[in-house]
Amino acid sequence: MLTTRRIRRPERPGLGAPGPKPGGARRAIALAAAVLAAAGLAACSSSSSSSSSPSSGTSSSSGAALVVADLAPFSGPDAALGPTYLVSCDGATAAINSAGGVLGHKLSCKGVDTRGDPADAVPATRQMFATTSNLALVIGCTSDEAASVVPIMNANKMVSFCMTGQSEFDSVHFPYFFRLVPPDLEESYAMVAIAQQLGYHKIALAFGNDIGSQTFIAPAISSISKAGLSLVANETLNLQASTFRTEADKIVAAHPDVIFTEALGATDATFLSEVKQLNGGKMIPVIGTSADISPDWYKSVAAAIGASTLATSFHADNLVTETSGPAYSPFQAAIMSEQGKVGSTGDFSTYLTAPGAVHLYDGINLAALAMVEAKSTVPSVYAPYILTIGDGTSGAEVVYSYAQGIAALKAGKAIRYEGPGGPTSFDSFHDSTGIFQIDAYSATGAVNVTGNISADQLRAVS
Amino acid sequence: MSLFLASFGFGLVTSAVLAIAAVGFTMQFAVTDVLNLAYGAVMIASAFVAYAVNQAGVNVWIGMLAAAAAGAVGSVLLNQGIYTPFQRRGSAPITMVIVSLGMTLIIEFGLQAIVGGTNVSYTMGQGPTVKAGGLILTAVQFVIIGLAVVVMGGVHVLLRYTKLGKAMRATAANRSLARNCGIRTDRIVTTTWALTGALCGIAGTVLAINDGSFGATSADLFLVVILAAVFLGGPGQAYGAMVGAVVIGLATEISAAYITPSYKDVIAFAVLLIMMAVRPGGLLGVTA
Repeated sequence: MLTTRRIRRPERPGLGAPGPKPGGARRAIALAAAVLAAAGLAACSSSSSSSSSPSSGTSSSSGAALVVADLAPFSGPDAALGPTYLVSCDGATAAINSAGGVLGHKLSCKGVDTRGDPADAVPATRQMFATTSNLALVIGCTSDEAASVVPIMNANKMVSFCMTGQSEFDSVHFPYFFRLVPPDLEESYAMVAIAQQLGYHKIALAFGNDIGSQTFIAPAISSISKAGLSLVANETLNLQASTFRTEADKIVAAHPDVIFTEALGATDATFLSEVKQLNGGKMIPVIGTSADISPDWYKSVAAAIGASTLATSFHADNLVTETSGPAYSPFQAAIMSEQGKVGSTGDFSTYLTAPGAVHLYDGINLAALAMVEAKSTVPSVYAPYILTIGDGTSGAEVVYSYAQGIAALKAGKAIRYEGPGGPTSFDSFHDSTGIFQIDAYSATGAVNVTGNISADQLRAVS
Repeated sequence: MSLFLASFGFGLVTSAVLAIAAVGFTMQFAVTDVLNLAYGAVMIASAFVAYAVNQAGVNVWIGMLAAAAAGAVGSVLLNQGIYTPFQRRGSAPITMVIVSLGMTLIIEFGLQAIVGGTNVSYTMGQGPTVKAGGLILTAVQFVIIGLAVVVMGGVHVLLRYTKLGKAMRATAANRSLARNCGIRTDRIVTTTWALTGALCGIAGTVLAINDGSFGATSADLFLVVILAAVFLGGPGQAYGAMVGAVVIGLATEISAAYITPSYKDVIAFAVLLIMMAVRPGGLLGVTA
């Protein structure tokens, strides 16, 4: 017969009743440990490594699948980024596989969770290298973790297409690092240019306390000053906090014409709904970064402040991307083939303008074509060919998809790849920056281009 | 003055949400002897139950009842399936803390695997906004404050005037003596898990309503604030948790207005540390 063994516990008063002296040393230790553990839990902010697929490596065995690792946050406040990139990865690799793969290899994607924190990203990256034998390419690496993981990837001679705008990559040469998105400071300038174009004068800043969002603040402040606009409030939003009423109240009290923001996770949704509430139910116009052009951001913010309010009060800068034409069609087909394979994210077509989806699709195609051109899947061998294929050589044939590219290469032609992100032009640091457009959401969540920012406009505020 | 009134109003709302959560947490701890760090995860899981009900076209306040039921059932299952077997094996309190921490991660990431990384909001209006001086509160926030008052009153009546409440207090004070007095302590413990689980579900829903947008990991930092309120009032003290919630809620929001919002959680713990240095047993706890 099963008997219940009880722990002997000290007598203590409970639930407000009078009684003898509480607890003992054991309990005190347990309680102290609990506080520390809970604090640690909050600091870690939830995270798990979500990985999906098989192993591969830096040098591929014949016929084995090559792995494209999506090294990005899959948990924590920026948890929406990793899955967004994975949609692009799955779509691009499926199209490549349909076209015959790369040098006899199929491609597969693997999610590696950095939790959006360098402390977690470094061991996750090391583990990725230790456990992925046919690793051929890394994508993702957002501003949350890029500064800590790019040197590791570079030391491992691994090609990476990163979604970071951090300015340190503007002037430090990493041979295996490539970037198709603009530096954050240029995005800050673009936001100021949009404010000028829309006739706003008083600006409030509300950026998340993560590394990726904080990098916008300093260039934005200097650009606001240069443009002759006025900064009326600057609040940092703790992505771990649950409400931002005080921050919202301070911003509302400063009477800005417009709020610049990037705060991912639930933060922008909560913060903007509180701004609306404290402003008497009327939304203050908002200008976001290109990271705000994503299905997840739209879904959470539209639910919090209302889709029609978001449609009338929100603009964001974004790099000019194709919305039709020979590069757009295969891209659209590749991305939309993933519809229904990922969780509910609102309007799936938003992925077609999401910077992560567009530029990482291009990055994967560039890398795959470079492998074919180099006749090698070894990153250190094919990396230089990314520049050749991206920038093109004299007389090179322009191709708009992997399938077109491989056909041209088989025919012995030199090629220049031009994807939905437009033509690339890598500088000596492997950065390729396009020009900006102004995006807005419709009431149904579709992304509309409402204007452009010329190079002159950008220069005037930078 | 208007800034003070505004932050005082925000503090009241924060205190209300915190009080519901902290009272449930501390009652659970006092009676069951488990410092359940998975409490925050159960809160958010329950909030998602309310969300599912709400998305089916049902009013969120009715969804909150479903969340309370889910919290109750989930907490009882958590105890029966996980904590009780460990307690039967004589696991040390620190082991139970680690087990509950593990359950937090399992529940949170299990939930995230189901609902995804996207944050969601209830379909509901905020009602008219009331402005008085600098005080700005919506109708929904008044309802949250009112709900907290009702819950606190209910807990008081339960503990002071009902047979169940007295049995819970007896079990919390000395379980073996309570059993020797004829109280079926196992049943009381299970009932406590159900009652505090229901409070946990209500707290999760109210937190999600108050936040406006929430995801699978939204309660992580809030759990730390719950612990601060509980420890400030004195662990295991239901009335202490109420007082602790008010102090922490007001201190964080008012300090955020005058210092910087970035430090508001720092302020919560500074208050706690000062209190523990002066009065280690908490505000309403017994001093050494």
